[in-house]
Amino acid sequence: MDFSYSDEQKLLRDEIVRFAQQELNEGIAQRDREQIFAPELWLKCGEMKLPGLPVPEEYGGGGLDALSTAIALEAFGYGCHDGGLAFSLAAHLLACVIPIWKFGSEEQKHKYLPGLCNGKIIAVNAMSEPDSGSDAFAMRTRAVATPDGLGFRINGTKTFSSNGPVADLAVTFALTDPEKGYHGGVTTFLVEKGTPGFRSSKKWDKMGLRTSPIGELVYEDVYVPASQVLGKVGAGSTQFTHSMDWERACLVACHVGTMERLLEKAIRQARTRKQFGQTIGKFQAVAHRIADMKISLEAARLLIYKAAWGLERSRMVAIDAAIAKVFGSEALVQTALNTVQIFGGYGFMTEYEVERALRDAIGSTIYSGTSEMQRNIIARWLGL
Amino acid sequence: MNEIKKIVKDYILEEFLPGEDPAGLADETPLVSGGILDSMATIKMAAFLEKKYGVQIEAHEMNTKNFNTIASLASLVQAKLGGK
Repeated sequence: MDFSYSDEQKLLRDEIVRFAQQELNEGIAQRDREQIFAPELWLKCGEMKLPGLPVPEEYGGGGLDALSTAIALEAFGYGCHDGGLAFSLAAHLLACVIPIWKFGSEEQKHKYLPGLCNGKIIAVNAMSEPDSGSDAFAMRTRAVATPDGLGFRINGTKTFSSNGPVADLAVTFALTDPEKGYHGGVTTFLVEKGTPGFRSSKKWDKMGLRTSPIGELVYEDVYVPASQVLGKVGAGSTQFTHSMDWERACLVACHVGTMERLLEKAIRQARTRKQFGQTIGKFQAVAHRIADMKISLEAARLLIYKAAWGLERSRMVAIDAAIAKVFGSEALVQTALNTVQIFGGYGFMTEYEVERALRDAIGSTIYSGTSEMQRNIIARWLGL
Repeated sequence: MNEIKKIVKDYILEEFLPGEDPAGLADETPLVSGGILDSMATIKMAAFLEKKYGVQIEAHEMNTKNFNTIASLASLVQAKLGGK
C-alpha cells in the first residue's frame, strides 16, 4: 500500500478545496440556524461531479478509484464548512449512487446515474424504520408481487431518511420474503418522487447537520414495476451491506478533512491567544491537547485510506471499514470538543463556528451504524 | 466436492461453533434456519469462500438456498469452479 498522492490526486484535492472554500461557505451560519438546504449549492457540487466521484465517466461520473474518492471527500470536508451539505452529499453518493452503479441494470444506470452525478437528481437511502435502526433487517416495510407478476406493491414507513424531504429518488429496502429475512428476503426498489402513494412526511429538527434535511418516507400501496427492482429480487441485504462498506470507509474521509481544518484553527488560536503573559499554546495542557488532535488526524487518515483501498479488492474490507468508521467518527467528536475547549468562551459562541462543528460531529458516532455496532462487527470478524 | 465440504465444515466449526462436537454438524444441518449463519456470519462465509477459491459470489446468490447447508455451499463453489 502506497498512500502518497499522485500528481492527479494533488490536483484533485487542491481543486475541490478551492471550489468548496470559494463557493459553499457563504451564509452557512444562517442556513444552519434556519435549517436551510441549499439546492443551488448542490447543483454547483454537481458541476464538479462531486455527487458521482467514482462512477465511470460513461455514466456522467468522475471515474475515480475508491482511494481517490476518499481523498476527494477529505478535501471536501476540509474546504466545505457546511457539515450538513457534506453529509447530504456523501450519503447520496455512498448509500444511493454506489448501489445503483454497482448493482443496477444498464437501463437503470443510464436512466439515473447522469442526473445523480450532475446534481439534478437527489437520492435518499430508505432503510431505517421507526422500530428498526441498528437491527436494520428487522424492517416491517413489505413489497408484495402483484398477481400478474409485473410489479410490486410497497407498504411501510421509513424514518431518519437523510435527504428524504428533498429527494427525487428513494433507494428503498423492503421485505419481499419475510421467512427468508436477511438471506434473500430483502429487495431494493428505486422509487421515484411523485409515484402515487409515496410521500415525504415528517421533517425532523436536528442538533447538528442542520442544513441536511432528514425526514420520514411513507409508502401507501405504492406500485412499482419490476423494472424498478435494483439488481435481482432478494439481493437487497448484500447490496445494502456493500454500500455500507463504502459509506463507512469514505464518509469518514469527510471527517478527516474537517479534523484537519479544526486542528489548524486550534493551532492558530493557541499561537495568538495570550493569557498570563504568554500564548496559550505554551501551556502544556493546551499543547498536549493539540498534539492529541494531530495524532488522531493522522491515524484516522491512514485507517480510512486503508479501508478505501480495500473497497475494490475484497469483501473482507468490512472489518477495515468498521475500524475506520468507529475511529474516524470518535476522533472527529473528540477533535471538535478539543477545539471548543481551546477556544474557551469564544468556542461556545456561534460566531466562531467551532460550536457548529461540534454539533455536526455528534451524530457521526450514530449514523451509518453506531460505534457500538461497529465494535460488534469488528469483534465478529475476530471470531468472537 | 467432498474436499470442499470438509473445508467449509472446518471453517464453520472454527469460526462459528468453537468447542462444539464436530459430529453434530452434518452436510445437511440447516445453517441459516438453524441460526448458525446470521447476517454477519454469512458475509464472513462468503468472504472466506471468495478468498479460498478465487470465486465471486453475487449479491443475489447469498440466499438461503445456497447458504443453508454445507452441501449447498459446496455445490455453489463447485458450480463456480466448474464454470471457470
